[in-house]
Amino acid sequence: MENTKNGFNFIQWFRKMWTQHPLFSTACALLLMAVLQIIALGFDQATFGDWLSRYIRNWINILRNNATIGIIALGMTFVIITGGIDLAVGSTLVAIGAIIMLFIDSSATGLLTAIGITGIPAYIIGILMGLLAGLILGEFTGILITVGRIPPFIATLGMMKICRSVTQQCMQTVNPSVPMPFTKIANLAIGRQMFMPIIYWLVIAFIMYWVSKHTAFGRHVFAVGSNERASKLSGINVNRVKRAVYAIMGLLVGVASVLQVSRIGAMDFANAGSGYEMDAIAAVIVGGTSMAGGRGSIGGTVLGVLIIAVMNNLLNLIGVPPFLREAFKGVIVIGAVLLQKKEKN
Amino acid sequence: MNLRMTGISKSFGANLVLDKVSFSLSGGEIIALLGENGAGKSTLMNILGGVISSDEGTIEIDGKEISFANPRESLDAGIAFIHQELNLINDLAIYENLFIGREIRNRWGVLDKKAMIDKTREVFDGMGIDLDPEAMVRTLDASYKQIVEISRAMMMDARIVIMDEPTTSLTETEISRVFSFMRTLKSHGVGLIFISHKLNEVMEICDRYTVLRDGHMISSGTIDSVDTDALAKMMVGHDVVEEKRAVHKSGDIVFSASSVSDGKYFNDISFSVRSGEVVGFTGLLGDGRSELFLSLFGAGTPYSGSVEVSGKPVTMHNPQEAVSLGIGYVPRNRKENGIVKDLDILENGSLVTMGMRKKGLFLDSKRIEEDFEKEKKELSIKMGNETDPITSLSGGNQQKVVLAKWLSADPRILILDNPTQGVDVGAKEEIYTIISDLADKGVAVIVLSSEAHEIVRTSSRCYVMYHGRILTELEGEGLNEQEIMRWATGAAI
Repeated sequence: MENTKNGFNFIQWFRKMWTQHPLFSTACALLLMAVLQIIALGFDQATFGDWLSRYIRNWINILRNNATIGIIALGMTFVIITGGIDLAVGSTLVAIGAIIMLFIDSSATGLLTAIGITGIPAYIIGILMGLLAGLILGEFTGILITVGRIPPFIATLGMMKICRSVTQQCMQTVNPSVPMPFTKIANLAIGRQMFMPIIYWLVIAFIMYWVSKHTAFGRHVFAVGSNERASKLSGINVNRVKRAVYAIMGLLVGVASVLQVSRIGAMDFANAGSGYEMDAIAAVIVGGTSMAGGRGSIGGTVLGVLIIAVMNNLLNLIGVPPFLREAFKGVIVIGAVLLQKKEKN
Repeated sequence: MNLRMTGISKSFGANLVLDKVSFSLSGGEIIALLGENGAGKSTLMNILGGVISSDEGTIEIDGKEISFANPRESLDAGIAFIHQELNLINDLAIYENLFIGREIRNRWGVLDKKAMIDKTREVFDGMGIDLDPEAMVRTLDASYKQIVEISRAMMMDARIVIMDEPTTSLTETEISRVFSFMRTLKSHGVGLIFISHKLNEVMEICDRYTVLRDGHMISSGTIDSVDTDALAKMMVGHDVVEEKRAVHKSGDIVFSASSVSDGKYFNDISFSVRSGEVVGFTGLLGDGRSELFLSLFGAGTPYSGSVEVSGKPVTMHNPQEAVSLGIGYVPRNRKENGIVKDLDILENGSLVTMGMRKKGLFLDSKRIEEDFEKEKKELSIKMGNETDPITSLSGGNQQKVVLAKWLSADPRILILDNPTQGVDVGAKEEIYTIISDLADKGVAVIVLSSEAHEIVRTSSRCYVMYHGRILTELEGEGLNEQEIMRWATGAAI
């Protein structure tokens, strides 16, 4: 070939990336959608400044609305890398949400208000209680899976039913309200933009990335998922790794729950969070994590959340009816896995 | 039906595994096919079973030359290969297993259960088998499962049955049940090929024998004309070259067990190992040595009896405890138990010590890399980049990485189960040298192997196991391949 010598060959580079990096195709799809999104947004503003601010506002909205799923998907990545799955996240989200609301409620029904604690101390206690509840629920799931030897699918399916149903029963007559200041956690406006949830998400994503790459625990997560037996025979406490993974999942659902309560200022215990488990799993899978365990990445999951979010936004912009949007989500999941290079035996 | 295989040769790459081997069998006789691991028995039987094809030689049945392209054609010619791992579906009934893939349907296309059960009963009656065709295969013991599998072959009109080490996982009663079934088959004119290492069983059931060694046919004749000692000698060969064995200065007893049993795989095991000593454990498949050490490492069945490490009584509940006591364990079956295929070379080589090498919350990557670099040099691991996948390495180098992960933890006791499994000849020698060097450094090394020459080559002392028990301890002059073979095959009892 003639043009191989004159420096950078884009086609060759592209082909190499496409075949060697499983996530490259996903990143390309995201880029393509981002371009389509710009076109769909239109150029009917008076000045470039107006256009840019509209463009940025659109992006902040996308990210903000997906921060909850984004945070849950981070925990789900670890769970799936160990070869497990967590179907309970949507239900534990409402259970934790109910607990938080009971603590922060400033009306007479609030648990802390009754003993005279209100305002910021009450919010801090409420948040801590929510995180603790998440941790305990996650640890309990982990114990069911390791000590009880119940397959993750079944253990978390059970937890999903239990958490949602018990929460609904308990909250039938109680109707706690979320005080205004608490909503600032997610809705604090800085420079007229409310991007706090994005910050929380990215910070947690960074921590999770760091844990997955640079701690013994993180590497053990991959080892256990790839070859549980070899890991056990190497002296790794397999059960502890698995329990920790579900506990972290629970903790992150706690964080997501705080954000959800704060952002919306209320919670519909019957419907909130339903379908979150599947959205999170979809993002993880689109992000190149293997359902069989052992392979995956936090970066991929962030990419997976983004691609689904941007696609939703794009469909909204071009006026695809809401009922059809889920179908596109399905297409993305199947398409992404088809495009990602499959390992040959 | 008469089978004659003449001048069969087969090589894998440059490795000649069968060199002009001939083999014959008539209907109504049981012939023993004997030889050490790697002698070529499996290759020869795989050629007969249509699993692989030969490079040279002919197969004749009743004087007609035939060739098999696949196992199906071999089966159609009346040859049934009963593998060690039985091909039965546990959750189906016996008759369903017998008719799987060839079910009898009535004219509506619905399964004709009654016809199938009746046919099964007919076959069982003819063979004198007392089994309910509707019983679930799961409820059968190992001997009956074999009988069912052979019956399935009989229903497909098999006239020759190859049985690959059928008795290894059976109890005494089960063995006698299988033997009486084999005699029934024989009286029906079926020819049987019995592959076994257990020479006393061979003496009991077989009419003739054929011994292979290193791909050559060594001897063939009637069982009446030989005894077990003679057969053991033929399998090993008379001209065993006594290879130089390293002598190590051994120290105090660091690992010992007395009357250890799990009630399933091993019974009443007592042994002791000194620091700086290489001790072998050998026996045939199913002797329980792997299960024994898996339990002693805390990853197998729970055991009773007492175990001492450096004079202190210990009980291993999980591998972490064993690791903290300075025990390392390189398991058999590297692919399933040794390597983690999604982690890179460096991570595989530091899997054991990763949790101990920390800087605050994070991994001390520099220390981990230094550790691995050291082991890489010492074990002369040939590899590219340390972030390459572990699967990019050859078998020998993968095994060295598994060794490296243990050596970086500085074990005082190292258990090696089949350390040269799936490793080429050159790497084998290197691993023997590594074992010897480790002993020189004062590590107590325990080598588990079914290859007698490997034990002779590496160990200064060896325990021979049979059916979950230690039969004898060999040392000095007594530690040679023939003696090991005599005890391991049960010929000595």
